[in-house]
Amino acid sequence: MNSINRYKPTDKMSNIIFRNYSLISVMSRFGLPLGFGEKTVKEICEQQDVDCNTFLAVVNFMEEEQYGYEYDAENDQISLPALMEYLKQAHSYFLDFNLPSIRKKLKDALELEPGKNDVTQSILIFYDKYENEVYKHMEYENRFVFEYVENLISGKDTGSYRIKNFAQKHNHIEQNLTELKNIIIKYYPQEKCNNLLNATLFDIFHCESDLNLHCKLEDELFTPAVAELEKKLCK
Amino acid sequence: MKNNDNIKVVIADNSAIIRAGITTVLKRLPNYTFSTNEISNLETLQMFLRLHTPEILLINPLILSNNTISAIKKEFPKIKTVAILSSFIDSKTLTDFDDTISIFDETDSIITKMDGLLTKNEEESTDTEQLSYREKEIIACIVKGMTNKAIADKLSISIHTVITHRRNITKKLQIHSAAGLAIYAIVNKIVEIQDIKGGIN
Repeated sequence: MNSINRYKPTDKMSNIIFRNYSLISVMSRFGLPLGFGEKTVKEICEQQDVDCNTFLAVVNFMEEEQYGYEYDAENDQISLPALMEYLKQAHSYFLDFNLPSIRKKLKDALELEPGKNDVTQSILIFYDKYENEVYKHMEYENRFVFEYVENLISGKDTGSYRIKNFAQKHNHIEQNLTELKNIIIKYYPQEKCNNLLNATLFDIFHCESDLNLHCKLEDELFTPAVAELEKKLCK
Repeated sequence: MKNNDNIKVVIADNSAIIRAGITTVLKRLPNYTFSTNEISNLETLQMFLRLHTPEILLINPLILSNNTISAIKKEFPKIKTVAILSSFIDSKTLTDFDDTISIFDETDSIITKMDGLLTKNEEESTDTEQLSYREKEIIACIVKGMTNKAIADKLSISIHTVITHRRNITKKLQIHSAAGLAIYAIVNKIVEIQDIKGGIN
């Protein structure tokens, strides 16, 4: 990764968000509350007991991703426990907050057109099914993959499973959300403009790209870091 | 999801300008969306390919040592390899590549090359989005949760024909899941809401 655009421990925390507002979600997943004042990244991380290198690796990944992230195997000193904690928080954000709040908004928007009750129901069935899929996807990572890595870190025998098996099967979970959005845009029989439905579509677009970035981060930051650890241990 | 969506591409070159340039050109191509990764050296590339195998590898032949490209092709036979030409290169070194892209190529010729690399096994996409009566019947069966076998029995056709119909439906509507078809079927009054409640849940 080129070092020019990268954030450093001595940068002001507030500047990071000013430059790229979508990083607000990264802050909350690391448990960093707003109100940064003039403090630097390093100061805030120390104050909140967050691993500074891991925080910067995630922030820089998100930032670089806009331009075409350059993959670098020698990735700083990422702390895998800290990165897994971040990923777990991200999972919880999607499952406990983001997806349920989109569902509520979607339901409210569709119910503004009571004549299409059947369509509403079929869309909600789709959505619930999707939410369940995301749940299974993330629970698998929380329970199985992260446990494997924790065992690896503590030096326990992990059998024949390797992170490569995960990397190759890891599917991008936003695809069915893309499908829902496409179906609504192409086939929803809207008679007059429904602002709430349009606003919900914005949320779905946003959630879609958020999920995509999340899966990319797992592919390009998390799995290589684990593969590196495996390599060290197998020597 | 269309087949042209989210095509994984790795761009391996030691020049940041060329990498970023190719990424930008790819983003501008209509009809495709690419998911690109930039890599600057061979060692990183080899590690990356083992974790995430792309569909296309664009690579500067000058960062390769002898025979590496044939080794890569042997290990990952599905990857299409394209040489990035930024200077004069002996054509003998290029025989192992599927194609070449020069930094002086215009967007048009890059589109043609991508079309060539990506659409080999895909037939002309159908412009007629209209579903036939039979296809609608099949959608009704799918969203009620019937298996291919049950559909074949009910309509007195072979399973093979059911599968062909399903493939055509997916192509015409760009809907891949039964739950997605259910929404379509309700909107177009092919089935009633009670029909799908048992089926796809």
